[in-house]
Amino acid sequence: MWNPLEIRQRYNLRIYLFLVAVVVLVVVLFARMVQLQWVQYNQYFVQSENNRIHVSPILPIRGMMTDRNGLGLAVNKISYKITLIPERVENLDDTLAFIQHLMQWKNERIQRLKKKIKLSRSDRAVLLKDHLTWQSVAPIAARLHHYSGVNVVAATHREYPYAMEAAHIVGYLSLVRDVDVQKGYLRMEYVGRSGLERILEQRLHGELGYQYEEVNARGRRVALIKTIRPTTGENVQLSLDITLQEVAANALQGRTGAVVVLDVHTGEVLTLLSMPGYDSNKFITGLNSAQWKSWLEDVERPLLNRTTQAAYPPASTLKMVTSFGGLAAGLRLAEGSTQCPGYVELADRRIRCWKKRGHGKVDLHDSLVHSCDVYFYEMGDALGMERLSEAIKDWGFGERTGINLPPESRGNVPSKRHPSGRNWYRGETMITAIGQGSTTVTPLQMARFAAAIANGGKILTPLLEKGEPVRVIRSIEVSKQALRSVRQGMRDVVAEPKGTAHWQLSQAKWTVAGKTGTAQVVKISADDKRTFSDAREHQDHAWFMGYAPFEKPEIAFAVFVEHGGHGGSAAGPVARKIVDFWADKMKKEREQDQP
Amino acid sequence: MKTLKKMDVILLLCLFILATAGMLTLFSAVHSGDLSVWYKQGVYWSIGLSAMVAMCFIPLRFIGLMAWPIYALALLALMLVPLIGDVHMGARRWLDLGIVNLQASELMKWALLMMLAYWFSTREASSVKDLSIALLCTLIPAGLIVIQPDLGTALVVMIAAMVVILMAGFPWKWFMGLLALSPVAGYVLWHNMHDYQKGRVLSFLNPESDPLGKGYHVIQSSIAIGSGGLFGKGYLEGSQSRLHFLPEQHTDFIFAVLAEEGGLFASTVLFILYAVLIARILIIALQAHTRFGGLLCVGIATIFFLYVFVNIGMVSGMLPVVGVPLPFISYGGSALLSMLLALGLVMRVSIESHGKVSWQRPGSALV
Repeated sequence: MWNPLEIRQRYNLRIYLFLVAVVVLVVVLFARMVQLQWVQYNQYFVQSENNRIHVSPILPIRGMMTDRNGLGLAVNKISYKITLIPERVENLDDTLAFIQHLMQWKNERIQRLKKKIKLSRSDRAVLLKDHLTWQSVAPIAARLHHYSGVNVVAATHREYPYAMEAAHIVGYLSLVRDVDVQKGYLRMEYVGRSGLERILEQRLHGELGYQYEEVNARGRRVALIKTIRPTTGENVQLSLDITLQEVAANALQGRTGAVVVLDVHTGEVLTLLSMPGYDSNKFITGLNSAQWKSWLEDVERPLLNRTTQAAYPPASTLKMVTSFGGLAAGLRLAEGSTQCPGYVELADRRIRCWKKRGHGKVDLHDSLVHSCDVYFYEMGDALGMERLSEAIKDWGFGERTGINLPPESRGNVPSKRHPSGRNWYRGETMITAIGQGSTTVTPLQMARFAAAIANGGKILTPLLEKGEPVRVIRSIEVSKQALRSVRQGMRDVVAEPKGTAHWQLSQAKWTVAGKTGTAQVVKISADDKRTFSDAREHQDHAWFMGYAPFEKPEIAFAVFVEHGGHGGSAAGPVARKIVDFWADKMKKEREQDQP
Repeated sequence: MKTLKKMDVILLLCLFILATAGMLTLFSAVHSGDLSVWYKQGVYWSIGLSAMVAMCFIPLRFIGLMAWPIYALALLALMLVPLIGDVHMGARRWLDLGIVNLQASELMKWALLMMLAYWFSTREASSVKDLSIALLCTLIPAGLIVIQPDLGTALVVMIAAMVVILMAGFPWKWFMGLLALSPVAGYVLWHNMHDYQKGRVLSFLNPESDPLGKGYHVIQSSIAIGSGGLFGKGYLEGSQSRLHFLPEQHTDFIFAVLAEEGGLFASTVLFILYAVLIARILIIALQAHTRFGGLLCVGIATIFFLYVFVNIGMVSGMLPVVGVPLPFISYGGSALLSMLLALGLVMRVSIESHGKVSWQRPGSALV
């Protein structure tokens, strides 16, 4: 039935068919190679380069902040950190267990780290722990070769040597958050969170460098291809004299308050002290929530920068504004005098002078020296609220000083238009004239006011960096006559034996002109004064502001002691220490300049 | 000497080039690590070539007589594997024979071919009975290999056997019927597959779905091949292989090393070499003066071609990952030895057919 020849033909035919099939399938393979090696070459080449080359960022060194003499306020110290690159780790559980064993970490920390690693990019180093000493990382460093992906890296960490005095200005860093990562920060970077660390972030940060390494499939480095060095951040020299700031801090003797010292000509800030301070180093080494909570809940509010963010009634220190207003308006009272019986009668009410028995016959000079209230009640009354509030604003109150340290408080300057819409009373104008009522100012505004008196009416922007160009916001047109009168009054606050700050400042190394201020916290009637006087929160706020030397002013200052009591006795001694220190320093510098 | 002079020159030339290319590629694949692999392969080549030459002196008659006994031996070995075999990478495939580890399925591959060629050399391949016996002799060992489990080899064995049976001359429509049955076979197969085998098939269908898992191998080898471009990255310069991104780069995935460093040029040259080699074996099959020799050559050509196609298809991401070596290039002693022995058989067929008329009708296998 089967023809042998047919079988032979069929055999030949099928072998030919097989040959054709072989050729077709080889062409299929060839087509696949053309697709991979020709058509998709670029795509695969990029992928092979990505495989081969590992780019790791190199963190730049953050710029330092120093005071005007070069003392470090924010510096970098060497420490060690442990990092882990997830994609290079063979067994995460084993690796973490190994680190846990050597570092004796708690289980919760390991659980936290696992969560963090899960959320991180697998080709980027994840920070496990930083701020470690060499002694503590040495056991891990010695065993690194057993566990791929783990690294011990020397790094710098931020340190604030004068944290307790300068934390409000310098600020602090903390570890990146998710929002920062979206802005391009790396997972292990620190970002300025507060103060100048936050404001000057761009300049201090520097630029990332990159390291291109050839790595094998296990993530091990095979060769270094190239390195782009990081650019160190800018070093910033502040105008602060941290030694002066320390002197001020010590002079406050643990009391709550603020001290501001300005260069009267340039507006450079020599001291910007707010007490109590806080240890900003804790943010770097890891702040625990209990500490944070205790700062937030502390009644003395250590996180508040009292020099710029808090405003207080200026009390008698505002009397110079009233004086300038009166003199500029050419009031008769400004040139003449009045009788102080200890009160002013207004309708059926009596508004009291602080001195119950009265000051007798007083002119502008006497009223400044003895801080007579009645004289200024009358001057304010004569001036009227519009002109009075105009003068207060003119001298730099009620507006932000423009210091590069936001957020800043404006303080408050009242005007005749009450926010509540009720009528403005004459008595309110009179109270405003002596710095009570609803006027509030920041200690920085107060120091700037003192500087303006000293420099002849220039309202300056307080500058935080040494050598910054001077910025004059405006020059107030004030007559030489008026300046002389007010300055002499301020001088005699100290110079005259009956002046309110004579006892504290007459012996200072420079001649001081200034003004005390004692701001009432609670309205105290004559009868129950005794019941209140013991409680600290009912004590008056104490001010002393002024400038020195009187003849050729160099520095202006404002000292504020919260619930400190009387201006002269509470704030005066602080000013004395500041002036003495600065006088000594200037003397020394001048001796060095002219041997 | 007379015998040696009659050896096929084209085959020898192809083999020589392949050997050189294989040794060079292998060196590239292992030079950054353990060079002992390369030396061992050199030893395997010399042993294998000697065996091939020795094979040229063994008369086909004798081989035909040995076909059934060898098949029986291979079947026995295959049955012994599940009982006493060594477990290696989750599968029981190897028999420890004291000196050498024998992979029973490897032996069965060649034994089955010889047996089928012998079986059909005296038959006209016209009856259902003949076909049934041939299929039974194929399916029993194939089933045993599947349960080892070694799906790749089982498929290779079955396809090679089917090609030989086809060449024996059964009508086409019989095969159409078998083909119609294959979806059923596929369904049964899938349900008997091990999880790792299913994973391979699935990851082949969508490698990006699991780039660090089962798809990793294929992705990395595709990157290696593709990044080679037209003329490659240069010898010893392939970053994928040098930096060990390639899996199994000296054995199953060695083609990626060659394609990365030599580019489209080198892969094309390699394809041509294989095509010439296989075509030459098929031509020898056409000119064979016995039916036995012809069918033997067809079977051997089928196995070579399956190895080439499945291996390169797998490495370039066209086929699922099955453990199949690239002939003469991949590292591995027993595979090289068996392929050189097979090539020796082809040479013997060529030598015996020298100057004789090709077979006219099915007759004695021994003539």
